[in-house]
Formats: sequence, structure tokens, C-alpha cells
Amino acid sequence: MTDKIDIKNVAKLAALKLNEDEQQQLEKDLSMIIEHFAALSEMDLPDDKISIHPLGMSLNLAEDIASKSLTHEEALRNAPDSKDGQFVVPPSLD
Amino acid sequence: MENHKLSISKINKLFKDKELKPSELYDEVFERAASTESIIHGHLTLFQEENIQKALESNTRYEKGEHLGPLDGIPIAIKDNINISGHVTSCSSKMLANYVSPYDATVITKLKKEGVLFTGKTNLDEFAMGSSTENSAFGPTKNPWDPSRVPGGSSGGSAAVVSAGSAIASLGSDTGGSIRQPASFCGVVGFKPTYGTVSRYGLIAFASSLDQIGPITNNVEDAKLIFNSISGHDPKDATSLIATKTEQPNLNKAKIGIIKELMEDGISEDAKEEVYKVAKLMEAEGHEIVEVSLPLTKMSISIYYLIAPAECSANLSRFDGVRYGARVSGNTSSEMMELTRAEGFGPEVKKRILLGTYALSAGYYDAYYGQALKARAMMKKEFTDIYKQVDYVISPTTPSDPFKFGEKSDNQLEMYMSDLCTIPANLVGMPAISIPTGLSSQGLPLSVQIMSPANTDNTLLDFSQTLQSLVSFIDKPILNRTEK
Amino acid sequence: MNIIPTIGMETHVELKTNSKMFCRCYVLDTDLPNESLCPTCLGLPGSLPAPNKKAIEFITLLALSTNCSITNEGMFHRKNYFYPDLPKNYQISQFDLPVGTEGSLEIVVDGEFETVEIERVHMEEDTGKSTHIGSGRIDSATSTHLDFNRAGIPLVEVVTKPLIKSSKEAVAYIEELRQLVIDLNISEGKLEKGNLRFDANISVAYEGDKELGTKVEIKNMNSLKSLEKAIEYEISRQTKMLKSKENIIQETRHWDEKKEVTSSMRSKEGSADYRYFSDPDIPNMILSEDFVNTIKATIPVLPSEKRKVFMDSGLSIEDSNNLGKSSNWIGDFYIQVSEITKDSKASFNFITGELQGQLRKLELLSLPNWVTAKNLSEIIILVNNDKISFTSAKEILTKLIEEKLEPEEYAVSNNLIQENDIDEIGKIVLEVIDSNEEVIIRISDGEDKLIGFLVGQIIKLSKGKVNPSVAKELLLKEINS
Repeated sequence: MTDKIDIKNVAKLAALKLNEDEQQQLEKDLSMIIEHFAALSEMDLPDDKISIHPLGMSLNLAEDIASKSLTHEEALRNAPDSKDGQFVVPPSLD
Repeated sequence: MENHKLSISKINKLFKDKELKPSELYDEVFERAASTESIIHGHLTLFQEENIQKALESNTRYEKGEHLGPLDGIPIAIKDNINISGHVTSCSSKMLANYVSPYDATVITKLKKEGVLFTGKTNLDEFAMGSSTENSAFGPTKNPWDPSRVPGGSSGGSAAVVSAGSAIASLGSDTGGSIRQPASFCGVVGFKPTYGTVSRYGLIAFASSLDQIGPITNNVEDAKLIFNSISGHDPKDATSLIATKTEQPNLNKAKIGIIKELMEDGISEDAKEEVYKVAKLMEAEGHEIVEVSLPLTKMSISIYYLIAPAECSANLSRFDGVRYGARVSGNTSSEMMELTRAEGFGPEVKKRILLGTYALSAGYYDAYYGQALKARAMMKKEFTDIYKQVDYVISPTTPSDPFKFGEKSDNQLEMYMSDLCTIPANLVGMPAISIPTGLSSQGLPLSVQIMSPANTDNTLLDFSQTLQSLVSFIDKPILNRTEK
Repeated sequence: MNIIPTIGMETHVELKTNSKMFCRCYVLDTDLPNESLCPTCLGLPGSLPAPNKKAIEFITLLALSTNCSITNEGMFHRKNYFYPDLPKNYQISQFDLPVGTEGSLEIVVDGEFETVEIERVHMEEDTGKSTHIGSGRIDSATSTHLDFNRAGIPLVEVVTKPLIKSSKEAVAYIEELRQLVIDLNISEGKLEKGNLRFDANISVAYEGDKELGTKVEIKNMNSLKSLEKAIEYEISRQTKMLKSKENIIQETRHWDEKKEVTSSMRSKEGSADYRYFSDPDIPNMILSEDFVNTIKATIPVLPSEKRKVFMDSGLSIEDSNNLGKSSNWIGDFYIQVSEITKDSKASFNFITGELQGQLRKLELLSLPNWVTAKNLSEIIILVNNDKISFTSAKEILTKLIEEKLEPEEYAVSNNLIQENDIDEIGKIVLEVIDSNEEVIIRISDGEDKLIGFLVGQIIKLSKGKVNPSVAKELLLKEINS
């Protein structure tokens, strides 16, 4: 199978603004890679339950003991823009 | 002085015997840096000034006989995708060029407790995506054996500085071969531990289910020493293993399988020759050599280039210009994010984010990402079955010796193929080591990779030490040779 | 043909753990922004999630209490979307293997039992808080300020099946869920603080249609009142559209509290592609039988069980439901009192009306230790036996809360015992009739409301000791004779 990649939609999902040249180049590159996946996509593989941990370990939950980590100043030190102790971004629409 | 090529245990003995001071070794290493960095560009930042005080403190500890362990006073370089508090952690990306981490990675906390002196942060392919360091936003690192060639990647800087002697050892990270492949290209030892043995907390994630921190060293003993000091359960990393049993060292003769599929097309004759050479040496020692078949290794590249980009597409979403890192202004926050990410990421990173986003998107998940997960599980089974028959499997580390700059950058698939032999260990989670064994017909280093079942890291390291002594690889990179 | 609405609810319950879901930062209730942060909840590079055990215990408790099946192997997934208040630009949530599935919750609507079917109960993390700075309207904001204290606080999402039939039922469901999480002690359950936040999925269709109508999601309802109004508004909007054969589009609409209308939200049009995949930072979570049994053993008396106890004591469904919303000790106290008085309704009324009213006025959270079921019952029995008036009962209760006393003794010594002797009362009645001849004539002419005036006179003359109903009865008898 070869699926054509809708590069504009994928870039939108990935929050990447691409110019025309990039779009063309990436569409070409990605199509080539995706073509390479054909053999894998066509394999008949058993539908076993997958463990996301490579060694199949199961989760150990952490005790609910709170502690202080970053200071307010440390948290904001790398902020590109901040005001009144808050991070500031251009208006976001709901 | 040539102390920088001694093993850590020998250096430690010199320190303890007061024949060498940590500050003297520290100076020597930075002298090496002064004479090599302008050529190889292995370090992105050097900590010389700020750590001199720590070197003097280490002197005092040895004088008083109160040193903290075998790594006290040892200068180690850190790949610049591992956080050290108060220092820039750039991932060789414009996105994080000025990002100062407010916290230490767990491996850094551990090494600090042992009195390690950090030489600085080393260059990598942007966000560890690449096999040559050509994808660094701050210029490539060059191979100390031949500066017209790549040092490998993504931990190219970490491998090159050990090879060049501007650090005694280094930490790298390995997602599909990013420790072993550059170690091989630079003629040093690279070890990727079992997934989950070394905490990933503080390592900037590329692909979380594949990433593992490990050492790059001059020899196997050093790798073992560093591995044992950075490993151990970390409650901050939910994927970190809890040690259940101690390893049974395998002192008997071992059975070793040569992976058939990694000795076929796409592997250079030189690389194959190294494997046969090593096999013969081991056979002479009484070990048994057999050929084993792991058919799914042929699918490694496809599986890897679905799983790794899928995970990275989410892992790199946090770089958006909101809380830290670069920002390009926009009229709305979503425009700001899109412009920031367009400007902050280089082409390879963008490509992989898009590839992963595509593989996870509605309508394609099952055919791509879902299928890759199934194949990964199958591959794990193949290895589990093989390890019922043999103790170790071996292969070349890389399909060929180091390539020239630009040689593969136009052909992405060929570049991706350079990880063919190293990817299976990441997909399966097992430990794998690359040991330099000889030189190619062009006089460039070649290595052999040995792998063993998950959680047999120390057994593998001990076995590798035996192999190392059999091959006695003593060649040095051109930088070191011309200096003499 | 009838048009019938179908409603599904999605409710986020903020858990009251000490630390956040995936890191050990304090869950803080503070106005100081960005105070409780660490690399993980701020999404700094290299940080990793470490799931909170207490939160998993809490969600398991809630899932068990809503009769859900508990998965034996749960998974965490990443839900990918870009928004500035989401530090990693993905939310750790659960997708195909949530903690609980296929449950139910009994609710009370208009004095009748109904069952709400629960589809799933899953664990996730909260986002930060955005404040839009500018002229007040979102679309004319000049910037957005972000506080991440809330980011990473554990949230349980409870999703019902789309089987709710009315706004009343939806409100009753939220009330029941709120009571449940309070009784389970897993959430503060305060709507005004956002501890419970709900969205409603609403569609309408002709009765008998096999397919549900197009689903519209309503957000931004901050109170039960706005939930009720928003659902009603939306049902009538969609009903009109269906009748006039207009096309209802699948979308998310925003409830406008001031205008009392729902309006379309622009930016989330088109179905989002969240690219869910299993979070590789979090191994599969085994919820063993042992673990589930341990949690099961800690389930307290549930609101539905409390209701049953109250109903068994003789109360109606509605009264039982209301009593269940009081603190547990009130319910327990009621049971003790009703066993002594053998009058459930009177006990319920006196406790929930008078006693709780007085406690509220005095800002008391519990009873003084000398106020016992025994002496409170004594007051109720005095009223029931017509020995004292209800007004006197209230007076005694007030005194009793102030100081230790024996109600009957107090009534006697303070002259509160009512006169029930018919001869005695009869004399007073005649006395009043004699001195009010003109009034009697007017009553005979049909001015019934003057009867009350005369009863008042009788009580006044007896210094309040006459039982008014007895007085009235005697008075009417005399007039009519």
C-alpha cells in the first residue's frame, strides 16, 4: 500500500509552519520513507496484547508524598515573556 | 603526559598513590581540548573555569584519603541532551540554544556524588536524530581519525572527545545506535545498557521506549565502572527497572551466534571480516560459534522509523515557545507556536516529527504504528528464542567504516541504513556493546557488536573484556599520532 | 411524532491527593501563580511522569462505587493537541484501557429512582489556567496569562452513556456524583471551585428513531442552575431545527451565562485528531485482584445505601435523598432519634429543619455533647403528645444547645406545658365568647377569618398554655350550637 501524505494537514497537527519549498521537499522525502514501510505494513502479525515497556515490566506507583521543587523564580527564569508571576503568550482562542 | 589514555582504575591508583593529582589530569585533558577542539568540535561548551575548584577539592580528598570512589576526579564529558543544573542544555538545537536547566538529570546527580569532574557538553545531531552530527545546529563534529569524515551520531561529540583525549570518558544516549555507531566510527568502546537500568530522568527524550543513557570509554573496564555508577532504580523514571536478581557470571565457555541477516547485503566486506576475525579468536579460546537467523532484523529499519518518530512527535511537542526556549512572535498563540517550531527545529527533526504525526494520525495508525508495535513484539520473541540456544549474538556495529561529510546526507534511506545493526538492541531492550577490533582497508576503525539477554549487562561487559584482550586494539586516531 | 432528547454527561472530578498525578508537587489552593511546579508538571525537557498511587486508589474506589468492572491491566495514553495551558502539548489520559467500565449510578429524580449508566471512569491530568487579558472578550484579548499550579492535578473523568432523558435527570446525576465523591472522601466536591466540571452531549431525535441525532457538546456550565438552563436551551434549539428540517452540525458550543444561550466555538470545528498512543514513559498498570479487594474493603456507606436505611425507617425517597446530603453524623443522629420517637417524619423535620437551622445560625459543625438522641427525642415526643407547642419546642431546643437540660423539666418549670383539659379550656372559651358578641355575629354572617382572632384571644387569656387546635375545636362547637 502507498498512501499519499497530506502534508498540510500533518503539519497543522504537528504545529509546524512550512513554506512551499519545505512542503514539497518533505512530501517527497516522506513519501519515499513511507514506501519503504510497505513490506512491514503488509506482514501478517499476531494481534497479541502489547506491553509498551520493552521488557514488559509493570508500573510501580509512587507514594503520595508531596515536596517542594522549583521556586517561583526558577520556574519563570526561562520564560520568553512573563508578567505578574505568570507566563505570557499572545492571545489564545478557546 | 599521556595519562588521558589510561584506564580509570589505573588513574585512580595514581591518584591514591599520590603520583598524579586530579587537577593535573584535569589540566591535561583541557590541554588536549585546546589542541583538538578547533579541529574536531566535539564539545559545545567547556566547563574548564568553573570546575577547577572542584578539581582542587578532589585533590584534597585524595590527600586526606577521603576520596569518594573510583570516579573521583575523573573528567567526563556529557552529551548535550542530558541536563546539568545551571548549564545550557541545547540538544544542538536553535530551539534550546539559551535554555538553562534548573535541575540535574539522575545520572548527573549520581556522578556528582562520586566526585566526577564534568569537562563540558558535547555535540550531537539535533535532538539526537541522526547518524553523523551533521544535523547539529551548531556545526558538525569531525572524526579524530580523519577530519574529513563524520564521527558518527548522534553522540558524535561524546565519541570524538574520548577518542581525541579531551575527556577520559563520556556519557551518550542511544536510541537506535547513537552510542555504539559513533563509538565504532571513533575507535572507542560504546555501551548501551538494558532498557530501564539507567534512569532517563533528565535525558531529553527522543523516543522514550528506546532511549538509554550509556558510557563511551577507552576500554571495557571503564564502561563497566561508569555503567555501575549510573545504573539503579530511580522512582522518578517509571520505566526504570527494579533489580530483582543478581547476575550469574558465565565463567564457562560461551556459545556465540553470528546473526546471519546482519552479514548480508549492505554490509561491507571489511565489516564482515572483523566479525569472522573475532569469531576465530574466540573459537581458539574454546568458545563455540554458530550462525543464527533472526529474520525480523531485516524489518528493523521500518519498525524503528515508525516507532521512534511517533514517540518523538509527541516528545517534541513541548517545544512551543510558551514556557522556555526560543520564541518567534505571532498574533495568536497558535501562530506563535507554529512559527517558533518552524524556526527552532532543523530539517531532520521536522521530517521525523511529521513522519511520526502521520503514522499516528486517524486512518493510518493500524497500518503503521500499530503494525510496528506488533512486529517489535515479534522481534523480541525471536531474540528470546535465540537466547535459549546461544549466550551472545554478534554482528558488525556498523555496515561500514566512517563515511565522508555529505556522502549520505543526500540519501536519507542510506543514512538510516547505517543503524541497521544497532537498532535491534533498542527495539528488544537488551544490552549491546561496540568494541573496536581493527582497521578497515582505509585505515579507519571497525568494531564488533555483542549483545546478550536483557539484564545480563555485567556478564556481557565481563565477556567483552575477554574479547578486548584477545584483539588488543591499540591503534590511535590520527590526531593523537600526528602530535607525537 | 414526539421529539425526545438524549443526553450524555462527561464529568471531571478533581481528586484531593497531597501531590499531583505525575509528580510530587503539592496540590495547592492558592492565588499565587506558578508556585507549585517542578520539571514534570511544567513540561521541562527531560522530565518524566511518576504516577500517584493514592490517585489510583481513589479512582478505583470511585469505579467500584459506581459498579464498574475494573480493568486488570490499565494503560496511560497521550492525547495530543497544542494549547498553551497544556505544558507538554499532550495530556496523559487513558484511552482503550480505562480503570473502570460499564457501571451504573442510582439517582433520585422527582421522588423516584432512576439509573444512570456509566460508560467509563478514567484517570487523567489537569491543565494549567489561562487568563485572557484585554477587553474581557476572548476574541479581543491582547494576551493570555498562564498559571500552571493546576497543571498535573489528578482528574477522574466519568463518562455516562447517552441515556439521560432530561435536564432534571442530568442535574440529579451531578448531585448524586458530587455526594458520592464527598462520601468517598476523594474530592472536595465543590462546584464553585471547579472540583467538579461537566460537559453535556445533547442530541434530539424523533421517538422511535433507531439512530441518535447529531451530538452537540456543551461546555462552560459552572453551576447546576446553568447546567439545567443550558440543556433546556439546547434541547429547544435542536428541537426547532429538527422540526424545520435544518441541519444540526456536530460541534462544541459554549454556554453564555449572561445571555442564557449556547453559541458555537469557532476554533475547534472539525473533529480533532488526537493521535492517542500508549505513553511509553508509563508501563502498563496491573490492578491485581488483591489490590481491588483491598480498595473494596474501604468503601464507606454509599449515598444509595444511606437512602435505603432512611427509607427503611419510614421516610419517603425524596426525604431520604435530602437527608443523605447532610453530614453523616446527622443521618446517624436521625436514625437514633427516629427509633426513640417512632415518628420518622417528625424526627426528620425537626432535625433537618430546626436542629440544622440552629446549628447553621450558630456556625456549629457538630452538636454539643449534652445534646443526645434521648433529650432531642424528648422534645419531639412532647410536641407529638400535644404537651408543648411547636414554638415552645423551638425555645427548648435553643436552650438545650446552650446548656444541659431535661426538656420536660424545663417545660414544666417554665410554664410551657399546654392546657389540654377540656373543662378548663371550655371556661376560657365561654369567657371569650361573652366578651366578643359583635365578632360572633360577624362570624355567623360568614366572616370565617375572625375565628383565628378569637383563637388568639383564647391563647392570650390562657397565657399560651392552651393547645390551639383544641381551642379552635371547642370554639366552633360553641358558636354552632
